[in-house]
Amino acid sequence: MKKVLSLILAGSLALSLVACGGAASSSAPAGSSAPAEGNKVLKVAAIETAYGSEMWKAVAKAFEASHEGVTVELVTDKNLEDVIGANMKAGDYPDVVHLATGRPAALTETLIKEDGLEDITDVLSMTVPGENVKVSDKIAGGFTDSSLTNPYGDGKTYMAPMFYSPCGLFYNVGLFEEKGWEVPKTWDEMWALGDKAKAEGIALFTYPTTGYFDAFFYALLYEVGGPEFFDRAMKYEEGIWQTEEAKAAFDIVAKLATYTDSTVPANANNDNFTKNQQLVLDNKALFMPNGTWVIGEMADAPHADGFQWGFTALPAVKEGGDSYSYTWFEQCWIPAEAQNKELAKEFIAYLYSDEAANLFANTKTKNDDGTEKLSGAIQPIKGFADTLEGDNKLFYAIYDNGAKAALGNFAATEAVEGVNMADTLFGTVNSLVSGDKTEDQWIADVTKVSDQLRAALK
Amino acid sequence: MENKKKNSSGETLYKIFIYVALITLAICIIVPVAWVFLASIKQNSEFYGNPWTLPAGFYWQNFVNAWTKAHMGEYMLNSVIVTALALAILLVVALPAAYVLSRFKFRSRGLLNAAFMAGLFINVNYIVVPIFLMFVDADSLVRKMGGKPFFLNNLVVLALVYAATALPFTIYLLSGYFSTLPKAYEEAAYVDGASYFKTMYKIIIPMAKPSIITVILFNFLSFWNEYIIAMTLLSNPNSGKTLPVGLMNLMKAQNAAAQYGQMYAGLVMVMLPTLILYICVQKKLTQGMTLGGLKG
Amino acid sequence: MDKQKGRGRFVFFCVTPAVVLFVIFMIIPTLNIFRMSLYKWGGYSKTKKFVGFDNFIKLFQDPKFFQSFQNTLLLIVLVTVVTFAFSLVFAAILSREKIRGQNFFRVVFYIPNILSVVVISAIFSAIYDPNNGMLNSLLSLFRGGDAKPILWLGDQKIVIFSLAGAMVWQAIGYYMVMYMASMASIPESLYECASLEGASRIHQFFHITIPLIWTNIRTTLTFFIISSINLSFLFVKAMTSGGPDGSTEVFLSYMYKQAYTNSSYGYGMAIGAVVFIFSFALSAIVNAVTKREPLEF
Repeated sequence: MKKVLSLILAGSLALSLVACGGAASSSAPAGSSAPAEGNKVLKVAAIETAYGSEMWKAVAKAFEASHEGVTVELVTDKNLEDVIGANMKAGDYPDVVHLATGRPAALTETLIKEDGLEDITDVLSMTVPGENVKVSDKIAGGFTDSSLTNPYGDGKTYMAPMFYSPCGLFYNVGLFEEKGWEVPKTWDEMWALGDKAKAEGIALFTYPTTGYFDAFFYALLYEVGGPEFFDRAMKYEEGIWQTEEAKAAFDIVAKLATYTDSTVPANANNDNFTKNQQLVLDNKALFMPNGTWVIGEMADAPHADGFQWGFTALPAVKEGGDSYSYTWFEQCWIPAEAQNKELAKEFIAYLYSDEAANLFANTKTKNDDGTEKLSGAIQPIKGFADTLEGDNKLFYAIYDNGAKAALGNFAATEAVEGVNMADTLFGTVNSLVSGDKTEDQWIADVTKVSDQLRAALK
Repeated sequence: MENKKKNSSGETLYKIFIYVALITLAICIIVPVAWVFLASIKQNSEFYGNPWTLPAGFYWQNFVNAWTKAHMGEYMLNSVIVTALALAILLVVALPAAYVLSRFKFRSRGLLNAAFMAGLFINVNYIVVPIFLMFVDADSLVRKMGGKPFFLNNLVVLALVYAATALPFTIYLLSGYFSTLPKAYEEAAYVDGASYFKTMYKIIIPMAKPSIITVILFNFLSFWNEYIIAMTLLSNPNSGKTLPVGLMNLMKAQNAAAQYGQMYAGLVMVMLPTLILYICVQKKLTQGMTLGGLKG
Repeated sequence: MDKQKGRGRFVFFCVTPAVVLFVIFMIIPTLNIFRMSLYKWGGYSKTKKFVGFDNFIKLFQDPKFFQSFQNTLLLIVLVTVVTFAFSLVFAAILSREKIRGQNFFRVVFYIPNILSVVVISAIFSAIYDPNNGMLNSLLSLFRGGDAKPILWLGDQKIVIFSLAGAMVWQAIGYYMVMYMASMASIPESLYECASLEGASRIHQFFHITIPLIWTNIRTTLTFFIISSINLSFLFVKAMTSGGPDGSTEVFLSYMYKQAYTNSSYGYGMAIGAVVFIFSFALSAIVNAVTKREPLEF
């Protein structure tokens, strides 16, 4: 079980993993080592996702308790961009923002392009409040090495890694058992399974929206070319999309499009994407790319008889090849215009304390119908995943089962008017499924966008 | 009355045809709207299957949840305040302006009429951010002078913006109506010694009542349903929201569990006041709509 | 002399508040759009870079902008033609014929217009659902249950028409009421004369009704242009988010996308400037083309 992290490490990067001893011990005594801050107000803004907002309230309260004279003014909202975006334009910035990249409103990306984030490299060498460990020693390996935290590739960290979750393919274990099917280990087995399922009127594949192809495609790029190839692609290297490796990845997605349930593009939007997820619950489609939040998201939906969530990394490109699961994580950052940067840094360091990690994972959150569940957000802290139970254990154990971790995304560029890599690379999948565009057109479009963005690299 | 007997079979066929057409359109409208009402009493789990199944029971809890948990009650009060205030400002400003612009001859009249006409083409959806940035500057100026910023997150200011952006259409509609009134009324009033102002509010405005009701209904609908300006200008989450903005919050956001029941209950709450108001004033609606041509 | 002065003062006090509000909240922001369209700015930082007409030059080389242009134009034409035909015919029926429940129909037809776009999009996503939607369920009665479902919001060749359908649904009542209002002022005697002379209903419709409400029709054409641009944005935003694969992107949705999610605020404002000029020009053209000698009655 302690391997959980090692897999993450294994995937990417070379940081050596120290044993996870002690990390699982329960929360540190509050208040003991807190510096007196005077009467300060720390403005924290956090996106509310499937984890709920209760855990943030709990963490804010605990931070106040351990830091005398500090008041945390917390804002959580499902559409956080709408709430803080306007005020930020007005020059009124939160001190700490928890908002990941890759969201439709792309607020975090905009600030990256505009140099609007504070350099927080020094937070890594700070001591976690209430503990005797350096932040960098607590954060699991690899998490602070990619463009997701160091957007400009200069070794400086601008975003702190938060709540990680392995991404991969979700399926119904019950259906596989009933039919006697094996979960494919390679893409060739995948296609064979697709033909078998088709004969029974089941589609091989569905996806919520094309946005979910980011994690999928990144992992695929790792599979076809390894970490070094991935990095070159993320920096828009010239000719990279014409390589054999890229072609293999494009081929797989294009072929997968032909195995996708034909109704998927109709519902692949923010309003109706749950209908695409429902296909798996109804045994109408076998696999969908997703993250661990999908279980909470679909908890109220009707499940087919004998339904049981299953989760696997992407199949390998060829027999014996590497199989990857993308490690999705959120980010927390300090706006360059923030007023209380020192305290904000202290707060971010605190987010890696055992106390905070526990609150993020185990705060009771009320469902709408009055039942309770645990918040379930997992901080990327060494050894923390070992303490998990239930469904979560299954997901976070994916790296134990031989899958490697894929991390990272495209490098930051200046804004290029009318050009957007995510729209072109992922959005086009809808057109592949419906047959409105061919694979060659897709590759040509991606190449063109890549060329335009390379010129604007930061 | 004039129908000749020999046409009667063709006549019947024609009648049947128009009834079929009318009833078809009516069904196309009633069924979906009724569906929203039915959906609002469904439990969350009923939303995942066929959307057209009838609700399993009356789950009023949706309304309770929307009203209290999602603060729709508080938002509704905000919406009522903003809408009423905006309508009041609009009428006070637009009625005299429309009256003067349509019935008085003065030097800049042509220019002003043309300007307001051009204003019809200005789309609120893209001027909202410049308006917002303007308030930002104003607020920081106030702050510099030691005052408390008040332009943003202020329901009154929001109402003012609503009224201002509705001016071109309202003035256009009212002017069209005013210009159909015979000159004789005012002339009689002037002969009696009434002032311009008195003539306007004692004689002309009462005559324009049908048109005013139309204006109120149209603008009520647009203010009540508006959310882009409200979302931008009421950005501070602690300062209150209007109903449609609250509704957007209820709408599912990706990666978060959806509360469909509450959402549809919210939809009904937004929809009901407009339905009621419309049914109350619908008789007057056609009377007030006299549109002139697009002349400068 | 004194009367003249009082008159001037009255005019001044009546017009000034409206002009002030109008200038502050509409004219100045619009001018700001034109100004910002000359800058490169992401929306947050303090640095705005003046780039002249760069944004416009890029705009006219941007295929996605042309797609949104094309979609907007298609929606304007389609929604106008269909809504116009339906609302005119229904208005004529409801004001000319003796119909039972006339009032009922008039009330019901207007209802879609009072609904918020959010409600309408919820309704239409239930109607257009590929598997359980009302439309496909109805059609399967004719096509047989095994027929492949039609993807109203998924097929890139159909989706724009599905949007148009929702927009027409929403707009018919509004324009119908407008036409009814002006039809009500046509003197009944004209129709009686025509009937005596043996003119058919259709003849009456084309030779009496339409010419006599022509001014009104011209006005509504301008409304059609303005509201199609505006509503197509709200519908797209609520129903398809511009998808699948950008195939339903319209002017304002593309503007929002660039200004707010692609860190290209100035570019977005350039789109806004083009939309303003376009809608103005289109209305002027339509207005000029439809000019007739007004008929009096």
